[in-house]
Amino acid sequence: MASSTPALGAFPSPFSIETPPGCEGWEEMYPYYAMFDERRRDTDEPRFWFWNSMHFPVPMPAFDAICIDSPYQAVGTWQNRVFAVPPAMGIDYRIVNGYVYISGNPVTDPDQIAERADFFQKRAGHYFANWSELYGKWKDKMRALIGELEELQVPQLPKYESDEVALGEDRNTAFYELLDAYGRVLRLGDLMWQHHFEFLLLGYGAYATFAEFCKGNLPDIPDQHIAQMVAGIDVLLFRPDAELRRLAHLAIDTGVDGAFVEGRTPEQIDSELVSSESGRAWLSELEKVKDPWFNMATGDGLYHYYRSWLDDPSIPYAALIGHVNALRAGEQITRPTEELERERERLASEYEALLEQEVRGAFNELLSLSRTVFPYVEEHKFFCDYWFLTRWWNKIREFGALLAEHGFLEDGEDIFQLTRHEVASAFDELVLTWATGGRALGPAHWPPIVARRKQILERLSEWTPPPALGVTPEAVTDPMTIMLWGVTTERVQEWARQQDGGHVLNGAAASPGVVEGAARVVRSVDQVADIRDGEILVCGSTSPAWAPIFSKITATVTDVGGVMSHAAIVCREYGLPAVVGTGRATSQIRTGQRIRVDGGAGTVTLLAEE
Amino acid sequence: MAYTRSLDQLRREDEPSFGGKSASLGELLAAEIPVPPGFALSTAAYASFASDHAVAAAIAGGDADGIGDAMRGVAMPSDVRDEIAGAYAALGEPPVAVRSSAIGEDSAEATFAGQQETFLWVRGVEQVCDAVRDCWISLYSPTAVSYRARLGRDREAAMGVTIQQMVDAEISGVMFTCNPVSGDPSMVAVNASWGLGLAVVGGEVTPDDYLVSKVTREVVRAQVNDKHHEYVPDPNGRGTIRRDVEDERRTARCLNEPALAALAEVAKRVERHFGNRQDIEWAIARGQSIPEGLYLLQSRPVTGVEGPKPKPAPSSAIAAVMTTFGANVKRT
Repeated sequence: MASSTPALGAFPSPFSIETPPGCEGWEEMYPYYAMFDERRRDTDEPRFWFWNSMHFPVPMPAFDAICIDSPYQAVGTWQNRVFAVPPAMGIDYRIVNGYVYISGNPVTDPDQIAERADFFQKRAGHYFANWSELYGKWKDKMRALIGELEELQVPQLPKYESDEVALGEDRNTAFYELLDAYGRVLRLGDLMWQHHFEFLLLGYGAYATFAEFCKGNLPDIPDQHIAQMVAGIDVLLFRPDAELRRLAHLAIDTGVDGAFVEGRTPEQIDSELVSSESGRAWLSELEKVKDPWFNMATGDGLYHYYRSWLDDPSIPYAALIGHVNALRAGEQITRPTEELERERERLASEYEALLEQEVRGAFNELLSLSRTVFPYVEEHKFFCDYWFLTRWWNKIREFGALLAEHGFLEDGEDIFQLTRHEVASAFDELVLTWATGGRALGPAHWPPIVARRKQILERLSEWTPPPALGVTPEAVTDPMTIMLWGVTTERVQEWARQQDGGHVLNGAAASPGVVEGAARVVRSVDQVADIRDGEILVCGSTSPAWAPIFSKITATVTDVGGVMSHAAIVCREYGLPAVVGTGRATSQIRTGQRIRVDGGAGTVTLLAEE
Repeated sequence: MAYTRSLDQLRREDEPSFGGKSASLGELLAAEIPVPPGFALSTAAYASFASDHAVAAAIAGGDADGIGDAMRGVAMPSDVRDEIAGAYAALGEPPVAVRSSAIGEDSAEATFAGQQETFLWVRGVEQVCDAVRDCWISLYSPTAVSYRARLGRDREAAMGVTIQQMVDAEISGVMFTCNPVSGDPSMVAVNASWGLGLAVVGGEVTPDDYLVSKVTREVVRAQVNDKHHEYVPDPNGRGTIRRDVEDERRTARCLNEPALAALAEVAKRVERHFGNRQDIEWAIARGQSIPEGLYLLQSRPVTGVEGPKPKPAPSSAIAAVMTTFGANVKRT
């Protein structure tokens, strides 16, 4: 369905991509500056753009595009304007048929690089030297920000303003309060993204340096061993599942485990539990766990439909059922943290002993620095992407409900089909007509737009984006592209070769082992529930929040991702083979197709049909 | 015992009198590494044989064919022969491998190319003595002579011999205690094929190629190749025969993960014992499994493998991170 005439290099020109039939007008969902536009064709066409399928695996709803702007505003600010990473400014993005393509802006002038190096050394040096203290403050900042978001009220539009407004002092009217609240909710989101990237580059950079050092001295060291030496044992991200395991123990110890029957909904389980004393005790224990541990998301939360466990308890309840069954079968389900800790130290000391004497000091120093920064690398996801973002989307839903109440939308959820500026505009009209008592055009204006966009998104999701556009670079040198997306020179060349198709997909060997089986292609979180026992998960990228499904699947294949992705770490925890960063697995593999995943070699073989 | 010694009685320092191969097998046994039992013949046995008038004259003449003819025409000194017979009997008179154990061979500095004679599946004391003599004759092969000349050691032609019980190998191969391609010291590189080790050592088949982590025993890479033939003992007596491998075994993987883990474990012990990187021949006895069926047949220092290109160690972790971010530039 895609037209892709290779115009420049092996990848299609961004200007040669046609709109899929029925998707005409998709551009209006996104900002004008997100387009490949003729007016800057001379500079956009010769660049290398790759599909950021790690963060944006499916077409962006109009409102969700805020999660493109804000992160790239924030990452660019820290990278380019605060730390001044010498060879790389920020990342440009463009949208093609709803999919997000990105390209770094390099710094090539040696004088500029040297000038930036001065800034970088001073500022990054400060962060590394004071990491734990600064990170402690960061966590306080994030908790305060989440608190502020929770306190933000979505004002209603009363028939008459209250006496306090009329007779009291310094009280604002609802029109102002509403516009202000909407502005503030957007600003709180920007603030979260600002915090999100404060430590990220430096954290990943320290880790990448250690990884690079290991590979320089131990060329065949598996990536997972590097990660294992660094990864925290007691990181926050494991807490939600650890709490579920504890609750499963509790259920058995207090004799209420009979409620956890395979196939039951959370409501059915709860209704059995409330009927007994010990069941109610268990439920109150569950309540204590919910804040904050149920702020886990059902996926890496850059789309509004990634809900939290609080919003959608079916995922934690499915995990509870699994844990209860495992305990009944006599399995040990508590994470053996002491054993993991010992193994981590054993790996580190054995590798150290294998190194030449003169580099052991550097090994230990880099390992120690990596371990210092790694909690942030792991935990910022929980604070930002899960806890904050799931609650933020819910706050936006409250604004949507208000628009629906006044007929501007058929359903509050439809707010996500409008851009943030369109929503602002709708509120402008809503408060105007509320104030004047005049007739609003909104109810006639917005619903058809929403309906049309839903249809476009549906069709765009069937389109297969090429892994990259533009000119194949001779070498990928941008440290950010390599570090954050695992897009290396080899990876790009492999994508280019694979443009012609083939039976073997190559990616990074993220977790060893060889498995054959039927593929399950998952493009969005609502398809997670379709996964059956024994299938191989094929997806854009996975999230550790999908923890419960890792006990069902036998291997994982992703389009994009490096070996330090959380998904890779979780796969290794579960002992599942994983190949990440294949560039095109979700577009080349269909659900049900038999594939062989070799997580040690980093290959995925599409097997012949029987 | 003037000329023979049980392998388990030998140590590194016996190399000048028994040769490198025998001495290193003794070392392996001392480290409690499984090696098939056997005995070693000293250089004194060769010296006694070479002192025979006809042999000495032929050696002085320097013609390889002449030396061979002279050696074959002379009986082995009876005291040497009696000791070989006694040691062979003590072993239980099994089929054995008879190999040269040259002085200086198997050392890190020099591999005596062309001087390593091996006779497999030798049965009976007569055949053992013949094989010993053939090892001695190989000292004067043109390649061995010219090799010694290059090293300036031609005055000192001397050789020990190793006589070792055969392992009827179902699978055998070679392993290095590093990756010989990348130089990675954390890996054991294993080559394996069906049957006796000849096929792998001689490069006659493309063996399965594995890389195993020394740290976790995980198999990091497994390349299974088409192993089209194998060597097995000749059912009719001395020697081996080469035969085709049936289709289903040709492309089958010959070592599973536990077997590779056990091999890596042994490789690590050998390396630790010798204190340097080792090149090890191993075999798994037919019908047996690892670890009981695993035997090491030989180990010697790895030669000709470079470590990973030495990179200058960063002055500090921060300096290394600065390099990652391209911030290690100085204004000119």
